[in-house]
This record gives sequence, C-alpha cells and structure tokens, in this order.
Amino acid sequence: MSDQQRQLPRPYHEAVLHWQRHNFPEYPRLEQEWDTFFPKDDAFCLCAKLAQNTAAQIEVGDRRGQPKATAPQDLDPDAAQQLLGIIRAQASTEFGSIQQHHQTLARANDPQDQAWVLRVMAEELRHGYQMIHLLTSADWSPVTDTKPQDMVEEILSMQTGSHVLAAFNLEYDSFVDNIVFAALIDRVGKYQLSMQKVNAYKPMADSMPPMLREEAFHLATGVIPMRRWCEEAAKPDALITMATLQKVVCKWFGRGLEMFGDERGGETNVKLGLKDKTNRVAQDEYVLEVEHMLDDLNQRHVRARFPKLSRDEADALYARVKTSGEAIGGLAPAELLRAPDRAFFRRRGEPAFQQVGVDGKKIDDVETYIAHVRDHLPEAYLASLDVKHWSDLQRAVSAGTMTRKDAMKSMPRLARVGGACPCANSVRWVVDVDASADGGHGNGVSP
Amino acid sequence: MVPASAILPQMADDVRVRPLTELDIEAVTRIDERITAHYRPEVWERRIAYYLRRDPDASQVAEVGGAVAGFMLGEVRGGEFGLEEPTGWIEFFGVDPDARGRDLGRRLCDALLVHFQQQGAQVARTMVAARDADIAGFLGAMGFAAAPLTALEKRL
Repeated sequence: MSDQQRQLPRPYHEAVLHWQRHNFPEYPRLEQEWDTFFPKDDAFCLCAKLAQNTAAQIEVGDRRGQPKATAPQDLDPDAAQQLLGIIRAQASTEFGSIQQHHQTLARANDPQDQAWVLRVMAEELRHGYQMIHLLTSADWSPVTDTKPQDMVEEILSMQTGSHVLAAFNLEYDSFVDNIVFAALIDRVGKYQLSMQKVNAYKPMADSMPPMLREEAFHLATGVIPMRRWCEEAAKPDALITMATLQKVVCKWFGRGLEMFGDERGGETNVKLGLKDKTNRVAQDEYVLEVEHMLDDLNQRHVRARFPKLSRDEADALYARVKTSGEAIGGLAPAELLRAPDRAFFRRRGEPAFQQVGVDGKKIDDVETYIAHVRDHLPEAYLASLDVKHWSDLQRAVSAGTMTRKDAMKSMPRLARVGGACPCANSVRWVVDVDASADGGHGNGVSP
Repeated sequence: MVPASAILPQMADDVRVRPLTELDIEAVTRIDERITAHYRPEVWERRIAYYLRRDPDASQVAEVGGAVAGFMLGEVRGGEFGLEEPTGWIEFFGVDPDARGRDLGRRLCDALLVHFQQQGAQVARTMVAARDADIAGFLGAMGFAAAPLTALEKRL
C-alpha cells in the first residue's frame, strides 16, 4: 500500500527550501548523483508521507480502544501538550542533524559513503518537513498560543548549539562522526519512531512508517562503512584505527542514551497513548542492540586480523577475549570496540555527573575523572566548547557549588533567539511568498 | 555471537521470522559461508544495503533461539523484462545447514509473499538454476511452478 504524499502550504515549503539553501547547500548534488548510487530507486520527494490503513483505535494507555484523534483538540489536553513538545523536539533533531552532517560531509574519503550520507541528509530534511506538516496542517490553538508560523520560525532558527537535545548540539570533528552518528544516534531515532507508531494522534502515527523505512537505510549508512573500517583497521597502515572508532563511540554513546529521556521517566507518554515503551525499557533494548552491533564489528575485525583462523575459530577467540577481559592469542580487549558503561560521561538522566568511568567504576576525585574522560574522547572534540562546559559543570557539581539538577539544565550555548535568515537580518524564514516568491534566492531545488 | 547450530537442538520451536536489518549482515555472511565456504562480507553488505533502502519490510530473516539461521531477500518491482505488473521477486535465500528441516524456508517465503501482496503484487517470481534440484524442489513445495517465460543467455 503506497503512502499518501502531501506538500506544505507554499510559504512553509519555501521556508524549508530557504533553510536548505543556507544549511544544506549540497542538496542539489543528490539529484546529480542519484542514478549513480541509487539506480532503480524512485526519485527523492521533499514531501510529507502518510501511511494508510494504520490502526484507528488508541493502542496503549488510559484511552486504549478509543478512536485516535485526528485533530489536536480531540486529544486529552495533557497528551496534546506533551505531543506538541515531542513534535518540536523531533523537528529540531531532523534539521539539527543536517547542520551537523554538513560540517564534515566534504571530508569523506569514499564517494559512496559521501553519497549515502547525502541521501540521509535529504531524508532528514523530509522528516523535518514531515514534522512541520504536523504543526501546520492542524489547529493547535487549543494547545498553544504560539502561531504555526512562529513554531516553524523557531525550529528553522536553531543552530548547532541551540537544539533541544544535546546530541544535536555537538559539532562533528571528522567524517568518522558522520558515520558513527548514523550508527548510534539514528538508532535512537529508530526507537523513537517505532515507539510513536502507536501514537494516539493519528497523523503522527501515520507519519512514522514512511520515516522508519528511510531510517533503516540511515542505520546501514552508519554500520556498513564502520564494518569496512574495522576490517581495514586490521592492516598496519590503517588510517582509521579501532582506537579512533572507540573514542568516537565514547563521544556519542552517552548522548544517545540521553535522547531516551531520564531513565526513570516515560510512563506519562505511555499512559497518554503517545508511545508504547517507557524510557528505561527502550534504552535497555537500545543498549543490547548497540552491543550486538559492536560484536559484529569486532568479529569482522578479528577475521581480518587473523585470516588463517576459520570462522568458528575467530568467533571463539573473540568470545574468549571479550569474556576474560585479557589478551589471548595476540588479541587484546583494548584493540576491540566496546560500549562504555551507560553512566560514563553523562550530563542528563539518572547517572548524570556521577563520575562513572568507561568500565562502570566510580572515580571519586573529580580531576582524575576529567582526565579519565579526556583519555577516552577524540582529541579534536576535547578542544570543543561542549567538553569545556561539561568539565566546568563536573567540577562545580563535585565542589557542591552547583546542584546536579542545575547542571543538567545547563547548556554551553543558549542561542535560541528569534529567527533571522542569515542573508538578511530582518527577514524571517517563513515569508509571504507573494511578496518574495523565491525568498530572494533564485529557483528552489527539489531533486 | 553463538552459532545457530549450537542452540538449535534445545530451541527447535523457538523460531521467529522478522524483517531483515543492517545488524543481520554478519549473520547472513556466516550462513553464506557455511553454505558456500566463501567469506564474502562485502557482497552481503552491498546486497543488504540495497534491499534496506528499497523496502526494509520486505526481506526477512528467521531466528532460532534468538540467532539468525535463515534469510530471504526480495522486493516488489515492475516493468522488467516487459512484465509491467508489480512482481514480488525472491532473489537470495539461505538456511544454515544445521537448521534445515525445520521449515524455516517455508516461514520465510510465507512472510515475503504476504508482504508482496500487501504491496500490490499479484504474482511472485524467481529463477533457479537447472542443476539446483534441491532449490527447485523447495520452490515447488512453496507453490512456484514453471512460468511461461524462457531464461535466455549468451556466453561472451
């Protein structure tokens, strides 16, 4: 069954294209490269897609069995408020990830990897477009005083550093970030979209299946290059080593865990029929999946490192090293990828600022802990405002001059200011298209 | 990961068929290696990436006791070989030799055919080499019959 496709009203459609021209200038290349890297695939469509024949009744929570809402006013008022926050946060992640990918896309060392990330970026643009469709295709006035155009304005104004979730406020240091981000952070996105398939607001639930289908390729865009790099890392002249990959995993893993929300929360969303899992349940499943992914990557590396071993022998060697934590047969645990403890380098949620190391051991002295974290993060990332801000907070929490609660709320930048387009300080993203039909930027591009 | 063969005797009824994901690449590579004695990770990465981006709900794997023991890859396409109607193509499949005889192939095939129908296909097609009597027998048991098409080739 094919999806219904919808376009945004023209001012919003133009606003998204205007945003694209500033934040995703590589977008036109996708059309040029499509037939080379994605032959047979339908052309990319910048549109909202709605699945058909989805459940008509609420599937979880207090209103289970009742008809799903087709307008915000039909939702439980608390559910409507909560949902609005979810949609805005989701939109922020979609546009935010494009801004991050853009920083290092040109540094890819493989044309296919680059083309795949380019497609991911375009599909994230479509996902952002989908969220704007949800905000602008219904009357949210019973839920918020903010007008639709102002909600869109706020979303399009966000920059790396001012997005809703911390994972989308980190700058990329190299193309390794593009790939590891797709493997780890898009995986959280898959969980969020999967949980929202049951959403009590039918347009939201209908939005999820098309987004999930695209997300499957995003995960492959992360995992497949990582698999190749892990094999290459077995060679003495490897450019991307297992140690490099491990540090990038340490950079992103905690931010991914925090995207699920506080480990103790999520019951309200289930009760209101918005998601089908609590935060901890979903996070636990995610951690198992990441561990599975890292096992697969390590197995590929071990096969390349020990080509004379049979499949079963190589698997057995990996299993022994992993279980014992000791070097065996020339393979050391430190040469393999592993998920850090889920309390490592956390700034939100239950274990925030608890000074837990990668192996799960508590480190009491704050300076020792900061040095430990430093030693497990990529060197380029250490010079970032993000790490500086975290280390300042960690010291303040340890000294008792700041509460954990206040530290959790603190962001390195709070630049969520009114939305001026960079090309003209007085111009908003959402403009009257009759007055400025193309936003002053020439023809729109839509591969 | 524990090989499927190690747990099959204890978990014979614990079979689950689900859509393929990118995390099945290693398991599919392992099954292929057990069948063909060739280790071809890059081949399966390329193939699985293709099917995931085309229709991630179509291709399926069968788990036995939580470990992947079989796979079947395919999709709905139309317009090929002059066949305009949407066709569900079954293109690659394999079952761990230690897991054969447990009906995994049938379960995988059923799951693909259901999905093909949901996508609007009214016919499923595949091709089998004349020498592969076992595969032909399996497909025959699945209801596939000789089609009014002829596979042609020319050696170059």
